[in-house]
Amino acid sequence: MKKTFIILGVLITSFSSCTVVKEYQKVNLNDPDMELSSRKIDRFETNFQGYREAASGANGGKTGGGCGCN
Amino acid sequence: MRNQILLSLIALLISQITIAQSDTTDVYKKRVLASNEIDFMYSYYTQDGNKAAVSGGIGTEKLTDAVPTIIIAIPINDDDVLTIDAAVSAYTSASSSNINPFDGKQSADPFLATSGASGSDTWVNVNGSYSHSSDDRNKIWSAKASIATEYDYFSAGVGGTYTQLFNKKNTEITAKANIFIDSWTTIYPIELRPFENNRNERGITALNYRVISGALYSPTFDGFTNTGRNSYSAGLTLIQILSKKMQGAILVDLVYQQGLLSTPFQRVYFSDVDSSFIGNFRLADDIERLPGSRFKTALGGRLNYYVNEHIVLKTFYRFYNDDWGVASHTVSLDVPIKIGKGFTLYPGFRFYNQSAASYFAPYAKHLSTDEFYTSDFDLSEYNSKQYSFGISYTDLFTKKHIMRYGLKSIDLKYSMYERNTGLKASLISFGVKFVLDKKKTGLIESQSE
Repeated sequence: MKKTFIILGVLITSFSSCTVVKEYQKVNLNDPDMELSSRKIDRFETNFQGYREAASGANGGKTGGGCGCN
Repeated sequence: MRNQILLSLIALLISQITIAQSDTTDVYKKRVLASNEIDFMYSYYTQDGNKAAVSGGIGTEKLTDAVPTIIIAIPINDDDVLTIDAAVSAYTSASSSNINPFDGKQSADPFLATSGASGSDTWVNVNGSYSHSSDDRNKIWSAKASIATEYDYFSAGVGGTYTQLFNKKNTEITAKANIFIDSWTTIYPIELRPFENNRNERGITALNYRVISGALYSPTFDGFTNTGRNSYSAGLTLIQILSKKMQGAILVDLVYQQGLLSTPFQRVYFSDVDSSFIGNFRLADDIERLPGSRFKTALGGRLNYYVNEHIVLKTFYRFYNDDWGVASHTVSLDVPIKIGKGFTLYPGFRFYNQSAASYFAPYAKHLSTDEFYTSDFDLSEYNSKQYSFGISYTDLFTKKHIMRYGLKSIDLKYSMYERNTGLKASLISFGVKFVLDKKKTGLIESQSE
């Protein structure tokens, strides 16, 4: 776990050295399929995975609330 | 030590904000949401398996669930958006029908569903959220509230997020927090109810009319006194543009739950207690008992790469662990493929594995002297694979209309899920998005006059 957070810290620090992409250069990044959040249609999938699997969180989905016991 | 690392991480994130290049250039202020949007969605989920938690780790897991959903997003002004999200889930569950396996016409059997009332239920969920963006669109806050209810469960939640963009909108950090206050209406397996807290009210039980085979059935059964469940979560998301074709995100979620974390109708059978049966159904020795708190940590990463105008690669990895002994890894790859005329294909694959919770053992492997126990295979060691395929149609110009609303997109997706415990599931989802056409409403003309 400690190792994971150290890797995370290094990654974040390294981000600051990334090249700045200007607005007019973001045409590819603005493609709807490049979005880093889940698509709306995927919400059902995220829900049932949350019910059937012990793990949750860090995927943009719900982290609590509701039963999910069936 | 873990807390110190976490605090250092948060401090590092904050320092990134303060040292970042300021982005205060005055720009044309575009509306956050141009006009009303409505999403209609529907999903149909089925699963089957033979390790039901309701019958102590054996028995049918058959379940179907149909969920119609509507999401309405309304721009209140140039900066603010109100979103209402409502879903109704109607499910039938062979597994939960076996809370009372003796109310059907056939002989009681954990591998058969009964036609009793506990086999179906409706879950209703309503979420409302309000978001506000600053004039330069570099700060966004949102607040939300939710309510979910079903026959034996009620959940109310509130939460908020704050997003800061900087570094010429190349970097984005979001902090979020949520609280859910939930409560159970405890429903126990039918055969245990007369024995709750030593009442031993055999006279009122339907079991009187059944022939019990095997050992004398006289369990010691204590019901739950605390029926509340609270969940507190906090999360951080860092999104970074890495090049003109690549961007990534790192997500951290911390969740603390306390209260009744067991499911009251999930049976447990002990290896050191003689069994009693009605028909083929073994009567419960006890119900699942789990600790009253759980701390979960999840760390995820996403990396998207724009290969060319036809193909995008979307990758995801998550590591999760909790203080119940579960550790898991999730990886997924989605490859949107644009095939022209507004159509995109969405093939995807996801792999998941987890270790077992410390309190898990399969059917009839627990000891009655244990403090905590469950035979719910959702907490067992397993791995799962999911294959999915979707197709989407997007009309940028919303040419087709229903009344004043233009059709923006249609989505269809099928997913097949298999885990090595024998559970198989499939999900088909459909969604259609409409956008209010201001030309049809005359709003544009009136604004320009």
